[in-house]
Amino acid sequence: MTDQTTDSDQPGPADHTGVEITLENVTKRYPGQKAPAVDNVSMTLPAGQITVFVGPSGCGKTTTMKMINRLIEPTSGRIDLGGEDVLKIDPDRLRRKIGYAIQQAGLFPHMTVAQNVSVVPGLLGWDKKRTAARVEEMLDLVGLDPDFATRFPRQLSGGQQQRVGVARALAADPPVLLMDEPFGAVDPITRGNLQDELLRLQGELGKTIVFVTHDFDEAVKLGDRIAVLGARSKVLQFDTPEAILANPADDTVAGFVGAGASLKQLSLLRVRDVEFDRDKAITATLDDSVPELRERLTRGKLHFALVLDRRNRPVRWVHVRDLVSATSLAEAGKPVGDLVSLKSTLRDALEAILTEGGNAAVTGAKGEYLGTIGLETVTEAIAALREEYTDEPTTEGESA
Amino acid sequence: MNLWDFIVDRWDRLLPEAALHASAVIQCTAIATVIGVAIGIGVYRSPAGSAVATALTSAILTVPSFALLGLLIPVLGLGVAPTVVALVLYALLPIVRNTIVGLSGVDIAITDAAKGIGMNRTRVLTRVELRLAWPAILAGIRVATQLLMGIAAIAAYAKGPGLGTEIFSGLVRAGSANATNQALAGTLGIIILALIVDGAFVLLGRLTIPRGIRD
Amino acid sequence: MTTVDTRARRAERMRMLGQPIAVVVIVGAVLVWAFSGELDSIEKANINAAKLLRDTWDHLVISFVVTAMVVVIAVPLGVIVTRTWARWAAPVVLGVATVGQAAPAIGVLVLFFLWTEWEGLWAAAIPIAVYSLLPVLRNTVVGIQSVEPALVEAGRGTGMSGSAVLRRIELPLAVPLILAGLRTSLVLAVGTATLGAFVNGGGLGLLIDTGYKLNRPTVLITGAVLAVGLALLVDWLGALAERWLGPKGLR
Repeated sequence: MTDQTTDSDQPGPADHTGVEITLENVTKRYPGQKAPAVDNVSMTLPAGQITVFVGPSGCGKTTTMKMINRLIEPTSGRIDLGGEDVLKIDPDRLRRKIGYAIQQAGLFPHMTVAQNVSVVPGLLGWDKKRTAARVEEMLDLVGLDPDFATRFPRQLSGGQQQRVGVARALAADPPVLLMDEPFGAVDPITRGNLQDELLRLQGELGKTIVFVTHDFDEAVKLGDRIAVLGARSKVLQFDTPEAILANPADDTVAGFVGAGASLKQLSLLRVRDVEFDRDKAITATLDDSVPELRERLTRGKLHFALVLDRRNRPVRWVHVRDLVSATSLAEAGKPVGDLVSLKSTLRDALEAILTEGGNAAVTGAKGEYLGTIGLETVTEAIAALREEYTDEPTTEGESA
Repeated sequence: MNLWDFIVDRWDRLLPEAALHASAVIQCTAIATVIGVAIGIGVYRSPAGSAVATALTSAILTVPSFALLGLLIPVLGLGVAPTVVALVLYALLPIVRNTIVGLSGVDIAITDAAKGIGMNRTRVLTRVELRLAWPAILAGIRVATQLLMGIAAIAAYAKGPGLGTEIFSGLVRAGSANATNQALAGTLGIIILALIVDGAFVLLGRLTIPRGIRD
Repeated sequence: MTTVDTRARRAERMRMLGQPIAVVVIVGAVLVWAFSGELDSIEKANINAAKLLRDTWDHLVISFVVTAMVVVIAVPLGVIVTRTWARWAAPVVLGVATVGQAAPAIGVLVLFFLWTEWEGLWAAAIPIAVYSLLPVLRNTVVGIQSVEPALVEAGRGTGMSGSAVLRRIELPLAVPLILAGLRTSLVLAVGTATLGAFVNGGGLGLLIDTGYKLNRPTVLITGAVLAVGLALLVDWLGALAERWLGPKGLR
């Protein structure tokens, strides 16, 4: 994953347009089945944040989500949306206020992209001009050209269809967005891009988003909060991704978090958050003389130096041995492979360190050299994370 | 006379008519199967050939049966001959189409495997392809018999054999005591025959389709 | 099975081109032959422009009255039995319709005539409609049932009411199958309408019957060929309708 698209962090709670959702002792019982599908779930989904329901398939996470827009009627319990009891609102009106995006987009194949996006504005009785303007705005928001408007869904790629699905869900500017495994059916690279896009959008819009997935990595990446659900939608743990990774509430959650939990934690920290080495490495410019650099290395008892171009960007690594026979720094050593920026996650940094076979160069916004980062910095960060979350109580949502 | 009394009274005439009706349908389907499967085998490898065969046979099916029968009378006269030709022609479409669909639906990997173990063209066709296509062909034959049951009734107009005779004579004697009974006996008789033959096809499918490829 | 699909499409394209040409050539040739021969008084009474046009017109009227009845009855009936509250009725209705089609057309026609003692257009159209109902009914039911449940849910999820989902999603997506059924029904109707002559419903069957009974092969052949031409033409129009009336996004 590249680092340019993940630059939106969690939205400040002040600028959100979303509303809070509360579930109170919500139960769903299907006739003829002994055990309830969803058993007495209570939780509060904070306004303007992304809450991810994550759990194994068949655990009732989708059922729980669909009760919020009453595609499934709860058997008992209460669901409030911005303080309003959803069970007292006409379901069709309720759903026009809640965006809904599903796996494989669920686009209507006989309608054009524009017609798909304008379904809810149409139901709300917007006039043509306002709707058309909104369609254009939404397509732009999800990064699609205006000329997509007249295409049919089957003329789009899977990723484009998902974008249209999100545009349709957001068209009437609902305060709440429900997303049921919306990126489940696209390839991993497209999925990564769509996730980045969603985070960017959320940075602008600040909706209350309920996101259902069975992919824990996706939950960690997207969620402001994660609800790990077990059988019958029992809330096993409801917390921030950091807290869940550092301190799983029980063995089931730990099993779900799975192996590589430490690696996953690395996605939560960025290079700018840790102390990397700002002046340890020896640098030279392309025009510097070879013997001079060789001498500086010997004096500093170091083996490697980093060669920068005229705009201060790292270009080559040179070993002291390379300098014996070299005539110019522009040809000595080997080119720099993987770079790390301030915004890169530690996970990306770790990958770069391993590819470079030692330290990786850290660059700033314009690609300028800032310092290097090594393995010990990463391991220290993991240890610190672990310590930070071990002693705190972690279960906030509960189910009786 | 009610319908039941009528049937009991005319049993000695209705039974042979039913038998003739059934045997005309079955024999004509058999002839159509031989011709249709042969056409299917002949064309299934060629996309153009398959398209021509399918287009022609489905155009034939569009032709009103009464019109086709009418056209055959000046050429073939009355009785068995026009009936057989008309029935065979109508039975062709479902059989040819399903033979082509069945044969071209056989997985190439399977035929390659058959060639790979040393079977020649004919053997691959008879031992592998036709057997795998058989469920589709059988389904085509079954549709054909159902179609022919109704068309055979119209063939009675050209003095063809079968239960259609009762229907037409009911029409001619409209107003007389037994007209409705005759038409009803003929119509119900054909429905019952159709159901029996359809049941027989289910049984035939169970007996002839290898268990490995049954749905 | 994409090869099977492309072959079927290819056959369909061939008919789109070949059928109207065949109709024009065959019907034209037969008409020239019929009009150019020596005609006796009976033949003259039947083979003249006015009579041929009237019989063809009657034939078309029966066919279209039948089609109208089929659409008006079969599509709503098919919609009703796919609603949740009437879903139990779907197998019953389809079963009855299937047995109904197993009945010989001529039997249904004659029985209706004997029971009602009606004659003319309706005596022909009503039983033929009953007989041609099944393809549209079955395809409406199958067409609606095969709409992806996720799409229906997406419709409800965006806030459409049940009837809006039916009107804007289920029916438009079922249209291609319904049109295919209608084409089959239409061809059945045109074919069965040749039997309308037996209950004084007129149509091209009249020429066939007259030619046969009075032993005038020219009259018989003219009537039969016109009926064949009409059937092929109507089937061709049905194919055009399938092509142009189906939702664009599905083509």
